[in-house]
Amino acid sequence: MRLVRSMALAGALLTMAATTAVAATRIDFFFPVPVDGALAKEMQNLVARFNQENPDIEVTAAYTGTYDETDIKTRAAIKAGKPPAVALMSANFITQYHIDDLVDPFDPLVRAEGKTPEDFMGEFWPALSGNARVDGKIYGVPFQNSTPLLYYNAEAFTEAGLDPDKPPTTWEEWVEDAKKLTRHEGDKTTRYGIMLPGTYDILGWTISALTLSNGGQYYNPDWGGEIYYDTPSTVGALTFVDDLVHKFKVMPEGTIQTPAMNNAFFGGQVAMIVSSTGSLSFIRQNMKTPFKVAFIPRNVRNAVPIGGASLIIPKGNSQERKQAAWKLIKWLTSPQISGGWSRFTGYFAPVKAAYELPEMKEFLDKNPDAKVALEQLAFAKPWFATYNTVAVRKALEDEVQAMLSGKKTPTEAAKSAQANANALLKPYVDATALNLPK
Amino acid sequence: MAQALTEAAILAPRLERPAQARRTHSAISTSLAFWLLAPSFFLLFLFTYVPILEALTQAVSLEGFGGKPIGYGLGNFQRLFADASFWKALWNNLVYGLGTVAPSIILAVVLGVALQEATRLNALLRTMIVFPVVLPLVAVATLFAFVLMPGVGLLDHHLAKLGIAATNWLGSPDTALYAIIGLSIWKNAGYYMLFVLAGLQAIAPELHEAAKLDGAGPVSRFFRITLPLLKPTLAFILVIAIINVVTQIDHVIVLTGGGPSDSTNIILNYIFQAAHQQGDSGRAAAATVISVAALLSLSVASLRTLERGMHYES
Repeated sequence: MRLVRSMALAGALLTMAATTAVAATRIDFFFPVPVDGALAKEMQNLVARFNQENPDIEVTAAYTGTYDETDIKTRAAIKAGKPPAVALMSANFITQYHIDDLVDPFDPLVRAEGKTPEDFMGEFWPALSGNARVDGKIYGVPFQNSTPLLYYNAEAFTEAGLDPDKPPTTWEEWVEDAKKLTRHEGDKTTRYGIMLPGTYDILGWTISALTLSNGGQYYNPDWGGEIYYDTPSTVGALTFVDDLVHKFKVMPEGTIQTPAMNNAFFGGQVAMIVSSTGSLSFIRQNMKTPFKVAFIPRNVRNAVPIGGASLIIPKGNSQERKQAAWKLIKWLTSPQISGGWSRFTGYFAPVKAAYELPEMKEFLDKNPDAKVALEQLAFAKPWFATYNTVAVRKALEDEVQAMLSGKKTPTEAAKSAQANANALLKPYVDATALNLPK
Repeated sequence: MAQALTEAAILAPRLERPAQARRTHSAISTSLAFWLLAPSFFLLFLFTYVPILEALTQAVSLEGFGGKPIGYGLGNFQRLFADASFWKALWNNLVYGLGTVAPSIILAVVLGVALQEATRLNALLRTMIVFPVVLPLVAVATLFAFVLMPGVGLLDHHLAKLGIAATNWLGSPDTALYAIIGLSIWKNAGYYMLFVLAGLQAIAPELHEAAKLDGAGPVSRFFRITLPLLKPTLAFILVIAIINVVTQIDHVIVLTGGGPSDSTNIILNYIFQAAHQQGDSGRAAAATVISVAALLSLSVASLRTLERGMHYES
């Protein structure tokens, strides 16, 4: 009995000592990892370093799965009254968070530092501000970003009599090269010219990249109630993809699963693929034969959407926790840390100053493919974000998948995608643009 | 949760039987029993009954734009029934159910009867057949992503030897659901076989010996003795199989996410999409209520039908 009592006393004393010694602000940080497990470990390392450098703050980093799962868990935590102080959120979900009134703006925090919101956003690549600033206020701070890239097998190019240093730059050249790269053995195709990923999420992103390259805008960047599916730029992009499959026969029919596409690229069964800059490290590690990367070819202009994630501060955090969150966010997006994360993952660093660092310059000299990704950034546009983004995206993806399987024409696909998307957007449209004086 | 509920409903009538035999409980042991059951009842209440009530209230709560509550009614059900994707998911689930339940149970009975004798070879074969059971469904799905890869996957590799060209199994709306069905049969048949083997142990060997003496061949012995006496086991397997059809979606999420073009979208995935991708919790709750109700009545009905004319061995 005495033992128990003295242990309890010791325990109480210890707790008291702990609380007085470190009156740290405890905050939670939710982060997803869309690519692979090594990234989650590296993020834990970063947070441990932050905690060591900032004894007044104790950050608990919680790995919350994919981008979609992080969204679900963050929303659940907000609903339960225990929001994380910081969450790394897919950049195109931020509009929805703002519509649902679930995020706090960064503007007051930025102003308190004596900076204008314009100065602050000016530290990042211009293409990123479209998804970070909604309705004139900053709701997300870009942390890891990407664009789609054309990856091609250099050996296959040489074999087909093409110059591996001259990748296709226009859709015309793209098709010509793809025809030369496609190889048949009897009635079997042993190598396809092109593969585009067809699974949900990346399919919508890829189609939007082609639509932007076709001069389109894809969505209304200023108001989340409009998406442009049944327009010449999108229909043109869809027709191009359909022709690759059914007219030029340089791409296999049906939805191409992303792992199948990667595997075919590694195995030489396809010569060109479209994938994220975020996959650069992954492909570099797995590809045995030499490969190169290039801009996404254009029909009207060079343009690609950005991808990736930004840091947000969900609503419902105390002033003290918000300050701690702001400190963490500033640290994570500082040129040093941001550059290190970029070199580790293959994402580009959103802060321009990161590329002024000597270690970053050295890295780019050694990895010319990372340089191509950076150069394409000059032509990047915001990622489509509307009310109900995921469902609106899926409305197009379902139709494109039917088109890829030869069940619908591009025009039919665009029409029904537009109709389904409009139905999904209706509640927001009715509550805003069609909410007129009575 | 739905699974636990249905299982409880199914098991309840069976547990009553021995309880009736011993009716002379003292008050003390009754209250002891109550206190012993209290913790599990508390948890069951907290994690099963409360969520059921919440799902029911959510299904009839109507929300305006931005999740503002505007009243109660059947509007969520109306919207659900007006949604073509819901009917598509229901149809897919039906095809998936018919395609997996019967083949995997028939396969389980055939395998169980074939491997009934406890020889060394049979023990080895049984282990091999049961192997997929111990793998998590997520792992199986990841494995099948490689098996089903067009052109280079294991399946196409072997089909190519027969002169069959590469097929984009998961990428075509015509084949994706059947690919998922094949995976489910592979995964579940071994599990059901275990129950069949257990059921076969309970059949008295004297019955087979007597039939043999009367000159009955193996086929008629199977249909006249084995199958009728397996009925209680089969009824149980059927219910488990039906529950699996509705509650297992790991493989759908990993392999196709319900696509291409919604061709592998089954009810549970539909509910997930409505709740988390479209933020429409009312419609998701309505679909949940419908599917749990259907699952419960289907399970009870199939058990009742099969229990009629069952031969229990005492």
